[in-house]
Amino acid sequence: MSRAKRVMKELQGIKDDPEARVGLQLVNEDDIHLLKGSFLGPPGTPYENGKFVVDIEVPMEYPFKPPKMKFDTKVYHPNVSSVTGAICLDILKNAWSPVITLKSALISLQALLQSPEPNDPQDAEVAQHYIRDRESFNKTATFWTKTYAPLDGDTQSAPVDQVALYGLNRVLVEQFVSQGFTENKVVEVLRRLGIKSMSADDHENANKILEELLK
Amino acid sequence: MVYSAKMLNDLSGDEDSVELEFESDSEFNDDEYGEGSDTSDELLYKNDKKKTDYLDSINQKESLDRKPLENGYENDGVPRLTYNCLTTDQIYDLVLLRLDRIQPIFDCPYGDIIVMLQKYGWSEERLLEDWTEFEDKVLISCGLKVAKQIGCSRGLQNHPDFLCHICCESNKRKSFRLECGHEYCLECYQHYIKDKLLEGKVITCMGCSLALKNCDIDAIAGENSSQVLMRSSIKGFIQKHSNHYKWCPFVDCNCVIQVNNISTLSEFPRFHLSPYVVCKNHHRFCFKCGLESHAPGDCQVAEVWVKMAQMESANLNWVLKNTKECPKCGVNIEKNGGCNHMTCQSCDYEFCWICELCWKGHGGGYYECTRFKKDENNGAPETKNSLRKYTFYYKLFSEHENSAKLDWALGLAVEQKVKALQENIGLSWIETQFLPESIRALIEGRTTLKWSFPVAFYSDPSHNLTKIFVDNQALLVGAVESLSQLLQVKEPQDIINRKLEFFNKAKFVESRNKALSECGRDLLCKGICIARTT
Repeated sequence: MSRAKRVMKELQGIKDDPEARVGLQLVNEDDIHLLKGSFLGPPGTPYENGKFVVDIEVPMEYPFKPPKMKFDTKVYHPNVSSVTGAICLDILKNAWSPVITLKSALISLQALLQSPEPNDPQDAEVAQHYIRDRESFNKTATFWTKTYAPLDGDTQSAPVDQVALYGLNRVLVEQFVSQGFTENKVVEVLRRLGIKSMSADDHENANKILEELLK
Repeated sequence: MVYSAKMLNDLSGDEDSVELEFESDSEFNDDEYGEGSDTSDELLYKNDKKKTDYLDSINQKESLDRKPLENGYENDGVPRLTYNCLTTDQIYDLVLLRLDRIQPIFDCPYGDIIVMLQKYGWSEERLLEDWTEFEDKVLISCGLKVAKQIGCSRGLQNHPDFLCHICCESNKRKSFRLECGHEYCLECYQHYIKDKLLEGKVITCMGCSLALKNCDIDAIAGENSSQVLMRSSIKGFIQKHSNHYKWCPFVDCNCVIQVNNISTLSEFPRFHLSPYVVCKNHHRFCFKCGLESHAPGDCQVAEVWVKMAQMESANLNWVLKNTKECPKCGVNIEKNGGCNHMTCQSCDYEFCWICELCWKGHGGGYYECTRFKKDENNGAPETKNSLRKYTFYYKLFSEHENSAKLDWALGLAVEQKVKALQENIGLSWIETQFLPESIRALIEGRTTLKWSFPVAFYSDPSHNLTKIFVDNQALLVGAVESLSQLLQVKEPQDIINRKLEFFNKAKFVESRNKALSECGRDLLCKGICIARTT
């Protein structure tokens, strides 16, 4: 009972606030169980100029139990699963309190994009990338933002550049493509081995990659 | 292992003060044991002193008095466990009694100290240490002091028309607030508290980290609801201190055993028996692994066996499929969300769902957990064969488990018989004691027998000692069955007439029991019995 009233009030609150930096809508007009939230990527980050959509599921016990949130938009971020969009954020788990609203939770997500916690990762591979090579990480995250979260309308239907998508070193990929392997195959092997880039004299890894490619 | 709790209660006399002894070969003690015992004696002395202190405080409330041991060892150098059997309420009472002593140090209300103790996992030492250094910090971190006074009063408030920000309902009449000024309607507070009571952690204001004290909880959720919180909090305490405290594993038994001379526990495996304790309801269980007493097997045999038995059951299959044990405290955890970063609700340990390693260690090599690991290939025919062997032993095991259940029922009947004997024939209490003694011998024999099957299962069948073990098993089966049969006798006069027979058969079971236990221990010592998972 209190759940319906509270969710309606929260929706109204966001509608009435022209300054609100987040959006919140019901998926179905007559079902307060499922909502979609959205916000803009924080400026000065690779997520700038992106619009991120979050799936929200409001449990029966809301607001005494936290809402379930996951990214609908694909995000390249250490604390967000690059595959499922699952989010690792304490206030959505143990640290939830009934005073937290959907709006403040969405703002927290925005803040999470601003300041990743690579030491408490959801997506280990992404976190690794973040720690090892920040520049390359930023490039990939910007590419994901452009590809999956463009401000103006739908995501591109054109084939996505896989090399940029997985943050791989283009020179490295080219090196193997020029040896006659398809780009798809090279990308797949590099991803499986978890190698994004390597120095020219790293023969051990080069052999490993070749071995996998020839399998 | 599902026995009815109440039994032999009235017959027990002063059985409560238990020191248990472990039979052992003399050769064992002489050369292996003698040297180390000096230092342990000192340790024990300290423990005993602490204990007498501690018992002084109990005695005022309840007579749980036990003879303090002068020395933790039997004459022949076998370690003994000394322990108390308590309930959660008693443990909480003990804590409250301690509170009287430490209250002057803190010089603040009882409710505050309880909150602080809860926050510190009921560890006085840690709390006192922090308290003497930074009193203010402790108060703030425990949520007992507002960072900034705003002059709000604490407690229930009455309004003609209050708008609650949690449920968004207006015209609420009753609300509750703390000094921080965060105020919510009573219904929301009740709802909020309801689940938290069972978590056993300090409950805070919904809007900030200010703590609700027991009196606040009672005011919101009704008389005595804070007791629920205290009980679950003490449960956490027992879990955290599982070295010293263990729950009785028997169904519906709420006893907690507290072992005083914990330092001797590590010496038990030398004797390869389960260091068992007996709770008030006469349930015997191994203090080391928390299972029922499992001699002649050691803890590992029991653990591996039980795991195997669990795999058979469909119900536990689900648990295995959907939950994992917390790598630290062993609580089963179900994953209910997408994130692989797990935090154990019971011990706050953080780990990775995939690889079950500490989450902190995920700094460097976290790819490991997504990598495919090759399983050890297992030959199919061998699996089938060992399964057949396992099923054979498991059937024996569970049959004896069932018989043991029936024996408990028999024990209850014996209780009646003893009363009848005392009333009808006019025998004195002491003269009827042979009956409960025989029942005890029977149950102990049955338990040993039951756990001897796992030992036999894991033993190398071609070895001579295994053959002797199996013969010993058969002898104990015979002894147990014949005693069990004798106990079926109903006629009171008949029972009296056959008193000597009871006595002899019970003694026979005891000696066979001892022989089988020793034989099992040899199997384990010599590495003939090795518990494996597959």
